Amino acid sequence: MNLIPTTLADGFWHWLWFNEKAKSSAGVATIGDELFMYIFWLSVVWFVFLMGLTFYFVVKYRRKPGQKLVRSPAHHTPLEIAWTVVPTLFLVYIFFKGFWGYADALVAPANAELINLKAQKWAWRMTYPNGAESPLSTRFTYTDAQGNQLTSAQDAPIFVVPAGKPVQLRMSSMDVIHSFWVPDFRAKFDIFPNRYTAYWFQADEVGDHPIYCAEYCGDLHSEMYAILRVLPEAEYRSTIDGWAIPWDQGPVPVGKVLYKTKGCAACHTVDGTPNTGPTWSHIWGEEHEFEGGGKAVVDANYIRESILVPAAKIRKGFPNQMVSFQGQLNDRELDALIAYIESLGANPPAPGTGHSETGAETEPAGSN
Amino acid sequence: MTTLHGEIPGAHGHEHHDGSYLERKGGMVSTIIDWATTIDHKKIGVMYLVAVLTMFFIGGVAAMLIRYELFEPVRIQATGDNVGQISGTALANLFGQKDISVAKADNIYNRVMTLHGAVMVFMFIVPGIPASLGNFLLPLMLGAKDVAFPRLNLASWYVYVFGSIFGILAIVMGGVDTGWTFYTPYSSSHADPGHWRVVFMILAAFILGFSSIFTGLNFIVTVHKLRAPGLGWFDLPLFVWAIYSTSIIQVLATPVIGITLLLLVFERLFHVGIFDPALGGDPVLFQHFFWFYSHPVVYVMILPGMGIISETIAVHSRKQIFGYKAIAFSSISIAAISFLVWGHHLFVSEGELVATIFSALTFLVAIPTAVKVFNWIGTLYKGSIQINTPMLYTLFFLFTFSIGGLTGLPLGALATDLHLHDSYFVVAHFHYVMMGGTVIAFLAGIHHWWPKIFGRMYNERWAMIACVLVFIGFNTTFFTQFFLGTRGMPRRYASYPDQYQLLHQISSIGAAILLIGFLLHLAVFIGSLFAGKKAPANPWGGLTFEWEADSPPTTHNFHHEPLATHGPYAFDDVVPPHCDPKDYPIADPLPAGSKRH
Repeated sequence: MNLIPTTLADGFWHWLWFNEKAKSSAGVATIGDELFMYIFWLSVVWFVFLMGLTFYFVVKYRRKPGQKLVRSPAHHTPLEIAWTVVPTLFLVYIFFKGFWGYADALVAPANAELINLKAQKWAWRMTYPNGAESPLSTRFTYTDAQGNQLTSAQDAPIFVVPAGKPVQLRMSSMDVIHSFWVPDFRAKFDIFPNRYTAYWFQADEVGDHPIYCAEYCGDLHSEMYAILRVLPEAEYRSTIDGWAIPWDQGPVPVGKVLYKTKGCAACHTVDGTPNTGPTWSHIWGEEHEFEGGGKAVVDANYIRESILVPAAKIRKGFPNQMVSFQGQLNDRELDALIAYIESLGANPPAPGTGHSETGAETEPAGSN
Repeated sequence: MTTLHGEIPGAHGHEHHDGSYLERKGGMVSTIIDWATTIDHKKIGVMYLVAVLTMFFIGGVAAMLIRYELFEPVRIQATGDNVGQISGTALANLFGQKDISVAKADNIYNRVMTLHGAVMVFMFIVPGIPASLGNFLLPLMLGAKDVAFPRLNLASWYVYVFGSIFGILAIVMGGVDTGWTFYTPYSSSHADPGHWRVVFMILAAFILGFSSIFTGLNFIVTVHKLRAPGLGWFDLPLFVWAIYSTSIIQVLATPVIGITLLLLVFERLFHVGIFDPALGGDPVLFQHFFWFYSHPVVYVMILPGMGIISETIAVHSRKQIFGYKAIAFSSISIAAISFLVWGHHLFVSEGELVATIFSALTFLVAIPTAVKVFNWIGTLYKGSIQINTPMLYTLFFLFTFSIGGLTGLPLGALATDLHLHDSYFVVAHFHYVMMGGTVIAFLAGIHHWWPKIFGRMYNERWAMIACVLVFIGFNTTFFTQFFLGTRGMPRRYASYPDQYQLLHQISSIGAAILLIGFLLHLAVFIGSLFAGKKAPANPWGGLTFEWEADSPPTTHNFHHEPLATHGPYAFDDVVPPHCDPKDYPIADPLPAGSKRH
């Protein structure tokens, strides 16, 4: 049902308020936009009428020196009842319409894809049904007047979701209250520690949508961004399958996935080319020289230390840039990463291990 | 209201032919002691006026800093000469902090944002009109010599100053970054751990609450007990009704915030698990407690403003208020319903049943508010309207307050609120109500009663220019923020994505215009105090008791005990006191036998 003519609800007026159409087909978005535009025009009509009347009175009844006062009624019961009852009727309608959209926002369809969302100061984490997490991140980029490129201050994770299918988030916080808001989906809900709240949407088109934290949560509240990337459902499936950790296949495949999902790939290659950090290809057994002197052979203990205490040994020619992964990786994951690096080949090559695995697939898109 | 000279038995013996309350008693030191120990409601009112306007200035400086920071978002240089360097940290640069992390730069903004909110709410707008103009005018409007408990009145001022000192101390110690709402568990377990300044800021709000309760209690008793002979409840000026309703809310709601804030202090200091889930508490409980006070208090902020508008619109259009009883009762019903709508601050954090009930109740409070606006506009009909600064502000109030009210609708409706909650739309909405409503009304009131309070006229032309600047600046600053909100800008952000920059910059330019307007007002006021023309006793032709008193009033307010002989807005029938009938011609007498409305 159209509350107001389409020309008033869409086009320029809708653009003025929302810039773009809602990108979720959930009721809260469609009913919300419709109701907002209805309230907007209702307000415009009332406001113009009241201000017009005020202006007319002020001009017509302006004080003229010496003019006697004119009596007029001090109240008018039918008029007063009318201007109490008529707005009440409009308000009752707005209430019910608003309730309708809200009720829709509360109950996700039964076939919704359930994804877990964790919020903490000042980051988002999504865990997919297969236990996978996204390794992707980006920053908002800007160009200033001098043509310099600027970015937002923190990496924002990119989460993928399927198009054309309802998605339900089960949300909780690790510390303080946060709030999950996707303006393109026209809804938000608070996220509490020690409690689950829910949020659902259905995005029918492929595209990226920013996620903001809408509840003040401290220092980097305003940098708590993420991107929700809507993919065709098949691509979504293959993407999260690619991020899944294959625990049943032994340590090397696990290490290969962790390499991508834990952010190692941002600085370390597995094809022999140096990046911000040294490559992992054929370093097992290699002797490394360090900044400030000293050398050591790459083995399991050396790798473990380099992951947990990166600054302890800085390889010659590389910056001291890596952050510690203490607490981010458990022992099983560390073992898997060590096994994966070992599997990438030794230097000098160990007899009888003609390892050709390079693991070089497409680099996770670190930015866009 | 005509005084009947010498007709009150015994009045003669009590007659004081004393001087203006502003008259200096001796030298500088004895004048200061005289003011510091005064129990005269007028002096206490003026002391409050100075105090709250000082707080408005401090909060205003913080507002300007906010708009200054938001002119540019915080960003990191990715190409060019200074890769990795932070830009857009205007506040950090202003405070001489170079090469700091983004977290630190954002933290400075968060502290300034909290400072703005806490000072404006707890130290300016809650005590604002009732404690200053209310204190000065309430006994005058009732025809009384003072409030019911003059010493309690002075005590409330000292408690206010004491509480404010705690707040200032917290700011001087580095400020707090909890937001003025002190949401848990951030405020109880995360913000500045182990630091006393958060406790001090909370205690400031706690102590200021007592000042509110003292004032409210005093005013309730004063209205009940000290009305002049003949002054019935429905002869009261509507400003008195508004202050009376406000006082009831203050007395009933403030203890709740007091208890809540104490619990918060206990949790911070002794880790009692009340609000922090990590200690076994419930963070939403705090929000319920907090808004159970803080929503009624929204009406503590706006009702006195509505009272002022009822006075100014009647006097400057020389018209009886249209629907006097409707306005009086809507004040009372707003006060009552205001206790039932706190849950609309929790639409995105609470259960569905609660949200639905509170949404319905929220629309209920919209109705008496709308009725008041219709009544004010109805008052203009067939009036004799004089445009001067108080009236111009009154008309601007109708404009901005209507926008504030109408933009409450999509926030009260649940479907639209899920998008707009905690966005800039909310920021714009409550600034239209609080600033476009209360502050604009306060300015109308200050100009309206300035001649009465200080005995000097102000420069009308320059005050009107300042008024127009404030109006333009205000709308430029805050109307843009509605669009920021609907387009997805969350509130309390130190930085923002590119697409919001243009609107933020327009908003900041508006703030600069606003600042110029306020500074011009300040200049006009100072000019008036030092070089203003002496004010007549009744410059606007008002009919309420305060216009019978001298300008400025004498220490005991009236030369004779006043007696109510006509309604507060009977402009049609009564020549205002101290006024020339030629300047204020009344209406033709009613034909014999016809009923007066």
